[in-house]
Amino acid sequence: MTVVIGFEGSANKIGIGIIRDGEVLSNPRRTYITPPGEGFQPSDTARHHRSVILTVLKEALEQAGLKSSDIDCVAYTKGPGMGAPLVTVALVARTVAQLWGKPLVGVNHCIGHIEMGRLITKANNPTVLYVSGGNTQVIAYSERRYRIFGETIDIAVGNCLDRFARVIKISNDPSPGYNIEQMAKKGSQYVELPYTVKGMDVSFSGILSYIEEAANKMLGSRQCTAEDLCFSLQETVFAMLVEITERAMAHCSSQEVLIVGGVGCNLRLQEMMGVMCKERGAKLFATDERFCIDNGAMIAQAGWEMFRSGQVTELEDSWITQRYRTDEVEVTWRD
Amino acid sequence: MHLSQTLELFPDLTVTQILFKEVQNAAELRQNAVEGIIKGALIKANMLVSPFQVLVATNKALHLQKQSQMKTRGLFSEIIFNLSPTNNISEAFKRFGISDGDNSVLVVLVHNKEESQLMSDILTKVDGVQIPVDDLSSISDLEKIKKLYKVSPREEKCGTLLDAVVCRMATKDVM
Amino acid sequence: MAKNSEMQTLDFLRTAELLKQGAEARVYRSVFLGKPTIVKERFPKRYRHPVLDEKLTHRRTVQEVRSILRCRKAGISAPVVYFVDYTSHCIFLEEITDSSTVRDHIASAQLSGSSCPDVELEHLVKKMGHILAKMHDEDVIHGDLTTSNMLLRRPPEDGETDLVLIDFGLSYISTLPEDKAVDLYVLEKAFLSTHPSTEALFETLLKSYTASSQKSEAVIKKLDEVRLRGRKRSMVG
Repeated sequence: MTVVIGFEGSANKIGIGIIRDGEVLSNPRRTYITPPGEGFQPSDTARHHRSVILTVLKEALEQAGLKSSDIDCVAYTKGPGMGAPLVTVALVARTVAQLWGKPLVGVNHCIGHIEMGRLITKANNPTVLYVSGGNTQVIAYSERRYRIFGETIDIAVGNCLDRFARVIKISNDPSPGYNIEQMAKKGSQYVELPYTVKGMDVSFSGILSYIEEAANKMLGSRQCTAEDLCFSLQETVFAMLVEITERAMAHCSSQEVLIVGGVGCNLRLQEMMGVMCKERGAKLFATDERFCIDNGAMIAQAGWEMFRSGQVTELEDSWITQRYRTDEVEVTWRD
Repeated sequence: MHLSQTLELFPDLTVTQILFKEVQNAAELRQNAVEGIIKGALIKANMLVSPFQVLVATNKALHLQKQSQMKTRGLFSEIIFNLSPTNNISEAFKRFGISDGDNSVLVVLVHNKEESQLMSDILTKVDGVQIPVDDLSSISDLEKIKKLYKVSPREEKCGTLLDAVVCRMATKDVM
Repeated sequence: MAKNSEMQTLDFLRTAELLKQGAEARVYRSVFLGKPTIVKERFPKRYRHPVLDEKLTHRRTVQEVRSILRCRKAGISAPVVYFVDYTSHCIFLEEITDSSTVRDHIASAQLSGSSCPDVELEHLVKKMGHILAKMHDEDVIHGDLTTSNMLLRRPPEDGETDLVLIDFGLSYISTLPEDKAVDLYVLEKAFLSTHPSTEALFETLLKSYTASSQKSEAVIKKLDEVRLRGRKRSMVG
């Protein structure tokens, strides 16, 4: 039996999870929530993580019913993400690894999402749509790498949604994306927005600047409601995402799709992807907010795979990096 | 001599092309067409590169007729309009419909399979010499066609004149 | 009536040979007006909002035929458009017979492994660079450049092999170096992921592109920017 504890804090969530051979023993998490109209700044986020990380660590061990001596390996997010929060969490992970005398493993955050998705859904070799506040990628596995077939050429889809939420002052509690999703359900009028797909890549900056410019004007003149805008924005950006996923599937002759990342728990996105899959005779795999949104267990799971295949990170190599592409990691645990 | 073809999208219909040279009564024929006595499109044969060009125009005319989206008043005027590279209707009639002084004419008929009466009507009405439709190329005024369709030598490097002509005809509505 | 006409084209397609079901279109082979023809049918995507779907599909059909004509006018080979049905969103195109994709060509040349194919491939990518420069000089942005979307047509006589661009479904017209750079970036990613260890070959393509157009300098400069954007994005969360 191998027990791995994972530390995640690359953005505004701090999570610590414990995995024992595919079983999630605990996975507590806290979210740093900012007032409406404001995004989260690196130093404030790091301060938030510092203030709660030991409480979360205690919870993780208690809920799992384990002592530090039961842990075989300490995994932490090496990147990508925001510098200050990454450093904060890595520091604690390094410290406990030394205190407990356990090996460390630095994990690529994106790979954490993919491996957690595969574990929870049992998807075998899916085309992965990874969508979050900082990432938008269509990924498929081939020859020991998770290769990026399509991605955003500017901002991430979650970033586009978050910044739109700020423009019309939608609450960040529990998350802007969740609130947009709820409001979109009440929208009905479809407002045409720029739609930008280039090959297997997408672009969201044009949509964002268009809606930033037009939103308050349209709302002011009662041309449409905030709910209509939420609805239209979701319909547009999700259609783009489903389209590039389908293009990648056609390219790789794939019959499985796995959606991961914070935006991936949006039920409308899942529904649209489901319709596309059904038409192609493909299968959709998705997870709920427990595992879609950043969490510690996903880092533990990827760490578990890496550790079992013989990878460890020496103390002097246990730094963090804000930029860390998914395809930089050699996947030593898959054929 | 004449050329009869069916259209894949309209399997019940036949398109017949009949070619005449040394036509003496173009003015009368044109008048007959205007009055609907001749049920066919009368086209300046020297503006045609190939019977395929006519087929493309006819297929498009029938398609738009079914959709009630024709730009002109009737199927035969629509065929003539479709031959033109531009969306200017009177220009199209001037360039592609027969004029009183023309001496070579291509007649296009659209009919059900059994209607052979139509063709004998045309043969009696035209005062001219019927020649095989395949001889169209001997009548084509290539310089004039290139000029009207604005086909540059550059374009002819990647295809035939017919390709250039057909491509413009098929896409002109969105240009 | 409109419904009626749509039926006609779709009935016809039922008799045609389905070549492939892509992400946004079904591609058929048939005979149309007596000629070997490819029909590209953009079928409705039910996951998309119907208004968005209709607009997108119509726009792409229009852009596709516009770009094809624009390329052909500039002497760049692309299939002849025979007929467009804007109701059922079908484009009837010349079938490029006796041809193979550049993708298959490079793959088999790489497989054969001898030194001779290198010279031949270099010649091929130079030609690709030249044609893409010509296309960008006409302000046509292909939008989906891959080695599968380029065909090599064997010439009827002893002439040189012709490179034919196909699948202009995501194309549009733009004068911006940024758009042209992204066009090349899309090709670079597709090229390098489809054909492993061809970095040098792609460099040759870009050199030929640069040498073939006076406007290329600004495009290549932008290309560097676009590449960095992908690599340097902070990727938070």
